[in-house]
Amino acid sequence: MDKSNHNLMFTNTLGYTKQSLILFLLIILAVFSAIVASTNGSFEVSVVNLIRGSATDLQSLVIMQIRLPRVILSALVGASLGLSGAALQGLFRNPLADPGLIGVSAGAALGAAIVIIISPAFLIDSSIGPFLLPLAGISGAAGVIFFLYLLTKGFGHQGVTYMLLVGIAVNAIAGVAIGILTYISSDAELRTLTFWTMGSFGGVTWNLLTPAIVVILGAMLYMAPAYRALDLIQLGEVEAYRLGVDVKGLKYRVIMSAAAAVGASVALSGMIGFVGLVVPHVARMLGGVSHRYLLPASATLGAALMISADMLARMVVQPAELPIGLITSAIGSPFFLWLIFRMKQNVY
Amino acid sequence: MSIKSEAVDVSINHVKLLQQLSVELLPGEVVALVGPNGAGKSTLLRVLAGDITPTRGNVFYERQNIANLCILQRAHYRSVMSQSQPMIYDYSVRDIVSMGWLHGDNEVHENTLELALQKTIKKCNIDHLGNRRFNTLSGGEQKRVHFARALLQLWLPDSSSKHRYLLLDEPLANLDMTHEISMLGVIKQCAEEGIGVLIVLHDLNLAAKFADKIVLCDQGKVVSQGTPEQVFDSEVLTSVYGVTITLSQNPLTISYY
Repeated sequence: MDKSNHNLMFTNTLGYTKQSLILFLLIILAVFSAIVASTNGSFEVSVVNLIRGSATDLQSLVIMQIRLPRVILSALVGASLGLSGAALQGLFRNPLADPGLIGVSAGAALGAAIVIIISPAFLIDSSIGPFLLPLAGISGAAGVIFFLYLLTKGFGHQGVTYMLLVGIAVNAIAGVAIGILTYISSDAELRTLTFWTMGSFGGVTWNLLTPAIVVILGAMLYMAPAYRALDLIQLGEVEAYRLGVDVKGLKYRVIMSAAAAVGASVALSGMIGFVGLVVPHVARMLGGVSHRYLLPASATLGAALMISADMLARMVVQPAELPIGLITSAIGSPFFLWLIFRMKQNVY
Repeated sequence: MSIKSEAVDVSINHVKLLQQLSVELLPGEVVALVGPNGAGKSTLLRVLAGDITPTRGNVFYERQNIANLCILQRAHYRSVMSQSQPMIYDYSVRDIVSMGWLHGDNEVHENTLELALQKTIKKCNIDHLGNRRFNTLSGGEQKRVHFARALLQLWLPDSSSKHRYLLLDEPLANLDMTHEISMLGVIKQCAEEGIGVLIVLHDLNLAAKFADKIVLCDQGKVVSQGTPEQVFDSEVLTSVYGVTITLSQNPLTISYY
């Protein structure tokens, strides 16, 4: 008896320590990739010069006005997709839930596309201009999530297949709507739209970035306290209620913050697929399934991954760029297939 | 001091599931809820747990109407174990049991949690499962882990004089005879420590052996309640269950149960 008790206590301490260590390493990885990404690219800027303060004006300009906003945006988008993916997979008790697969990203893209094509010029030039795209993205994302909520009777356990089929339908509907918008768009609008459906972090300015930082960080902070309830809901909604979880409140919190974070991300960077699906699974494999670890780990890993992927997108075909969504989908879709094969074993 | 329902009606889609049901569960007693399928046993348990709001009538925890208690307050009074859903992700047994802990996870509480966890796991005879992944356990083992979680939810500091209640919906399903007896032993022990236990049972023999009080239900109503000797009358049981039931005293002094 005593021996097994001792073992139990040991794994506990070890479990927490291991998770903290992994989290720490992930943060280092994210910071490291941020530094590398802001100093590398088609325009050389040496780190040493930058630290010594002997960088030229042009170099500082490139760093401050082009690279830094871009790195921050990719970190934010990666973090919000990773975090939302982890939280949605927990809430739906469904390992395939992903903001992209269930149509939330498409909803956000549609919202933003409507603003790009239809909104009158005075709105864009006015003071709410920078907020317009993120707001449209958030409304689109929230609309889709609300629609899903209705169709699955309060996200009840209708099964993995049902949710994914609804997601396919939503994606198709949004695709049609975006197609119509594309058809009626002008040449310049068309370019913006195409860049959107593939995703890119290029061309972001502080002006656009600042509201997005506020929205995304706010949404992530709002989501964070849900970690324990997300563990408890794994027992089922009724059981979670019996353990003192306000299930309705939890759904509201997770769904609204996921919609806000993903909506704002998609509005600024377009549709970037599979990050929300893959990142939480990798985080689970690294350190376990409890959400107290999983939520911060998915956010950090998502940020690190996205910064690196964006750097790759800039570096591979210099001086041109690959669309970032292409890279993440190229990595993510085989992974998705592999997950489906693993589903037979019923262990995630 | 008790958990009780007062003249509770439950109708779903105009079908009356419970009518004028009043039951009371006192601290330290084991009450067995028996009756044929569809008698409303599980519905009554869910009403007492607060899962279902009754169409008419009220439920009280320690004289407070549960309509006035928030979800978290309710969780502190009672824990519930019923048929559970499969776990999707790969939690450890330890993770699952700790889900019953209601007292926060900051540094101060970590040691208290650790002690309470050890005690509960030992009490339920699942110490050997502590390091296992929950999804690799058999159905019976999973049941015992969920039972341990329900017990941990009722944890109180030794100094506390509050009362706690345990509601169990067919806790013995999937258990072999050894574990059936051992779980009933733990349940009995909980009652001795002052927890009020309501247990939905199919096996009348077990109910007669282990319960202090029996509530016999049929068609959403209480047919009779009282001690096993008062309730188990062969004529009443025969009419409720529709099969001939005879009662006999166990001739052996040492019985299985």
